[in-house]
Amino acid sequence: MGTKDTALALLLPLTGLAAWFAVSAAGLVPGYLLPAPAAVFDAGVRYIFGTQGPYAGRFAGDLVASLSRVLLGFTLAAVVGIPLGICSGRLVVVNRLAAGPIGGLRAVPGICWLPLALIWFGIGLKTTVFLVTLAAFFPIYQNALTGARLVAPIYYQAGAMLGVSRVRGVFAILLPMAMPNIITGLRLGMGIAWAYLVLGELTGVPDGLGAVIMDARMAGQTEIILAGIVLIAVIGRICDRVLVLVLRLCFKSARRQV
Amino acid sequence: MATAAQSMAGGPLGAILEVVALSHSFVHNGVVEPVLRDISFSMRSGELVCLIGRSGCGKSTLLKIVAGFLKPSQGQCLLDGRPIVKPGPDRGVVFQEDALFPWLTVRENIAFGLRGGRQARRELWREVERLLDLVGLAGYGDYLPRALSGGMKQRVALARVLIRSPRLLLMDEPFGALDAQTRDEMQELLLELSRQRQQTILFVTHDVREAVTLADRVVWLDRDSGRIGDQVVIDLERPRDRNGGPFQQYSARLHQLLKH
Repeated sequence: MGTKDTALALLLPLTGLAAWFAVSAAGLVPGYLLPAPAAVFDAGVRYIFGTQGPYAGRFAGDLVASLSRVLLGFTLAAVVGIPLGICSGRLVVVNRLAAGPIGGLRAVPGICWLPLALIWFGIGLKTTVFLVTLAAFFPIYQNALTGARLVAPIYYQAGAMLGVSRVRGVFAILLPMAMPNIITGLRLGMGIAWAYLVLGELTGVPDGLGAVIMDARMAGQTEIILAGIVLIAVIGRICDRVLVLVLRLCFKSARRQV
Repeated sequence: MATAAQSMAGGPLGAILEVVALSHSFVHNGVVEPVLRDISFSMRSGELVCLIGRSGCGKSTLLKIVAGFLKPSQGQCLLDGRPIVKPGPDRGVVFQEDALFPWLTVRENIAFGLRGGRQARRELWREVERLLDLVGLAGYGDYLPRALSGGMKQRVALARVLIRSPRLLLMDEPFGALDAQTRDEMQELLLELSRQRQQTILFVTHDVREAVTLADRVVWLDRDSGRIGDQVVIDLERPRDRNGGPFQQYSARLHQLLKH
């Protein structure tokens, strides 16, 4: 990225930050509604590194709790979503069978599942993982399906005349060809997984990044809420980058096509 | 007018490919549309046959049937006397469009589908280098297909089937999308390969000039009847002089056929 591009990318965030500084310094908005940037920064530092105070040093524990929920839910969604999507994209029977129910389920807003999940699984890990899995499943499934469907027949013909059997063709041709779409689905799924993680954690679990910002609301600690939001954004972004990096490291088809 | 029977004058004994009483129809919206009717011809070892005909005459369909991608409605194809039932590396196909695997380098594309132990693989990579050399792509082994020009892609497509030493090379308008200069180069390359390796080639084209340049024999598929309309043996020494009288006469004759 050139200097010009970097400057352009930073323009809006920096303008927003400057406006925030200005508003706080001028005292236009009371601190309990919008704390000053310095206060949020201090709260963040205390939350991550601190040793004293209500939220001091909790970050590491919350991160582990949230990350394990996200990764568990995301992995479940990928393990079910990719094979099912690939099969639906290639096999008419599977698509007829799955398209209706999956389309119907997708029409239900994810948040509707929360009450039911609470009854089924209670408050805690299971409910959060259930919500994350459900939400991450749809983009992963849909993009795997599209990717599989878009593979032109000529590539199977090329494989067949080179002596590649149908079964081996799935791994040697179909999956690599569908890889760009599969990656898109996984990235969208990872993003939405974080969204639903926070939703799941707002329900009263004791630990996790979502739990902390909800808890901070009760305690009137607006700066912790804002610090939490910034941290979730940063971690979500890191997860996305790591996901792409891992895929590129593991698959030639990801490395050379994305 | 030469008939199918005459074309087999060499006798099915020496034939690599025999197409026997082959017919094919497509079904569109419940309507049966015949494209190929009662096609019979054969190819001798080392022969280069061009299939010509206007678009929609079924020449690509015939090639797909020989490749094993399509099952004919009636009749059959025999390769070395055995019926063709499915695709296989004994019939290498070069497609008109780019069908290289985009996530594999040139070298990996050429080695695609080949497997074996460590010893075999070392031998394999040496063979890949030989083929890169043969098709004029030495030094391009690590390139990805998207970094190659159209002509270079078709060279890779050639190399990846030649490495299997196919009995029959099937080419479906492989140079149709190339510019004139590149097409000439590719035709020269193909003739050189066919001479060096005694490769039997079935080549589909609608380009008369290409057919007369390449073919030992031209088979004309008549679009109206769906049958083989005529077969013309191109009895010219190679390299062929495209500006010479005989070349022009053959071209004129084939042009006449295509006007039907």
